[in-house]
Amino acid sequence: MGEEAEENMAVWLLGVKTLKIQPYSLPSLGPHDVKVRMKAVGICGSDVHHFKNMRVANFVVKKPMVMGHECAGIVEEIGSQVKSLAVGDRVALEPGICCRKCTICKNGRYNLCPEMKFFGSPPTNGSLANLVVHPANLCFKLPDNVSLEEGAMCEPLSVGVHACTRAGICPKTKVLIVGAGPIGLVTMLAARAFGAPKIVIVDIDECRLSFAKNLGADEIIHVSTDIQDVCEEVVKIQNAIGAGVDVSFDCVGFDKTMTMALAATCAGGKVCLVGLGQSEMSLPLTPAAAREIDVIGIFRYRNTWPLCIEFLRSGKIDVKPLITHRFSFTQQGVEDAFDISSQGGNAIKVMFNL
Amino acid sequence: MGKGGMSHGSSGGEEENMAAWLLGVNNLKIQPFKLPPLGPHDARIRMKAVGICGSDVHYLKEMKLADFVVKEPMVMGHECAGIIEEVGPEVEHLVPGDRVAIEPGISCWRCNLCKEGRYNLCTDMKFFATPPVHGSLANQIVHPADLCFKLPDNVSLEEGAMCEPLSVGVHACRRANIGPETNVLVMGAGPIGLVTLLAARAFGSPRIVIVDVDDHRLSVAKELGADETVKVSTDIKDVAAEIEQIKKAMGTGVDVSFDCAGFNKTMSTALGATFSGGKVCLVGMGHSIMTVPLTPAAVREIDVVGIFRYKNTWPLCIEFLRSGKIDVKPLITHRYGFSQKEVEEAFETSAHGGKAIKVMFNL
Repeated sequence: MGEEAEENMAVWLLGVKTLKIQPYSLPSLGPHDVKVRMKAVGICGSDVHHFKNMRVANFVVKKPMVMGHECAGIVEEIGSQVKSLAVGDRVALEPGICCRKCTICKNGRYNLCPEMKFFGSPPTNGSLANLVVHPANLCFKLPDNVSLEEGAMCEPLSVGVHACTRAGICPKTKVLIVGAGPIGLVTMLAARAFGAPKIVIVDIDECRLSFAKNLGADEIIHVSTDIQDVCEEVVKIQNAIGAGVDVSFDCVGFDKTMTMALAATCAGGKVCLVGLGQSEMSLPLTPAAAREIDVIGIFRYRNTWPLCIEFLRSGKIDVKPLITHRFSFTQQGVEDAFDISSQGGNAIKVMFNL
Repeated sequence: MGKGGMSHGSSGGEEENMAAWLLGVNNLKIQPFKLPPLGPHDARIRMKAVGICGSDVHYLKEMKLADFVVKEPMVMGHECAGIIEEVGPEVEHLVPGDRVAIEPGISCWRCNLCKEGRYNLCTDMKFFATPPVHGSLANQIVHPADLCFKLPDNVSLEEGAMCEPLSVGVHACRRANIGPETNVLVMGAGPIGLVTLLAARAFGSPRIVIVDVDDHRLSVAKELGADETVKVSTDIKDVAAEIEQIKKAMGTGVDVSFDCAGFNKTMSTALGATFSGGKVCLVGMGHSIMTVPLTPAAVREIDVVGIFRYKNTWPLCIEFLRSGKIDVKPLITHRYGFSQKEVEEAFETSAHGGKAIKVMFNL
């Protein structure tokens, strides 16, 4: 293929709001690894946050780092022990490499592994590059009818799928989703796929709400940022859902959204905190606990790719409408893409095609 | 089946039933309490042991608790056990003379929550001494027989009354899935922290660390079987240091924390001390609005589990007491008779806290 001549290039974060396409030297291919040519890479809110702040929570970008973690591509080379994949296979990638040895990993909750190496989470380089090397067991073959862009969408979709799994969503669970951004939307799609009979979604942005309606929300409610409005909004939510909210997903993560979710949820129900807005929150936790509402923590996902791929293959979930903007892998394209993504608004998922 | 009848030669027909009524703030009076008629599924029970709870003290001082407001005089007390005097015609499992522990709350048994077994959350719950429902600190009460649980010979009436607070601990341990692999942290060594400690041990927890601000309560906890105790402060700045102390005391990770106090500091400590993927049960009801670092806990997939009273716990509590797996007797620190003066003293003692754990009336 003449790849000896090709220099692998990637998008590097060099400083606040400073991205540059520069060479990226790949590690050598281990026996259980594959080399994948990236074809579709999406941008996430956390990528934008790193871009603007050079950190997210306790993760600080101390040296240049390759961006990107929502990706899919084509296998170019396989390690000597790899049996599950062949050159030419179209694959979606699960970003995080856990240690596989600690108690947490061995008990299956590997998303919580303290040694996790995650694309685009400092100091681990990401996948917005021509090529990456990655463990073969984290590369999932795509069926013919699932595109590479949809493959890249498996990553954000996995957050919704994991949240719905932890929350026990099923044909009896009536769901409230707070926030109609990308995470709220994939959570809605996942909840429907898990069988939720009724889904109400709220947001402060009318545009995002009508987008959510087109994606299948049963009811949409416009809410404010003013915490004084919670009581009134909870009444609207309860009227909209009819028989009571069994599970709420806070896909934003602020005092107001959590307060609303706690108050709107039925006794004995669950509130999943998916969004990572505020660190410290002031909430009416005791009245919620006195109604035995459980607050479920959500961090990334685990064991979700096969299910996401199946949902996409069968058409039970259609993520294609979420991809609103596409950019090429050029310096200008990269800068424009991050600009658009950070503006939010009617940009839902910004995708690179390489 | 027989109507049951008067027991032990007491001329029930002449006796005026008396109870401890809450008339206003800090105003309790023993006055007549007229019983409702005995329904076909009811039992009439002569009260023998009645304990005082923090919520009783709160009503005495404030005439309200959260959304429950005492608008008219109300009989106090809900932790109780006694002897069956009479049973309704449909009652088959109890006869006069039976010694029983009593589950206070009467649910509607018709709503969806009741039908699903989560009857403790029933919105029509009628609970002893939660206004406007009268309590059980009285000579006699009438109560559904299915909420009266026969005590084995080796379980005393006082222990029967202790089933109520113990049930809170048992229910919390169930919701938190305590077992032989669950290392437990208990925040607060008051009565609720202590029954939670006892329940966690009975459920098989291999290691239990308990914390409190009070040395005496910590020593009681140690005697009751805590593996380690840690003295903590009321200053929220000490949270980080205390989390380290707790982790050190536990040795291995904290799988489940029970916040039996319910304040910003105790929840913040519990959230910070618990291992990834663990649970924090909010049992205590200290503050309504809490300011806590919830997100850092959520990104470690710590779940906050809500606890409200209990459900289906009496048979298990009684079995724990019968087998000796749990010994609640050391928790009963003060005893009083059923007279005006003693009722006043009892509540004062209970309100004072400190060395008083469970204050019990013997009638």
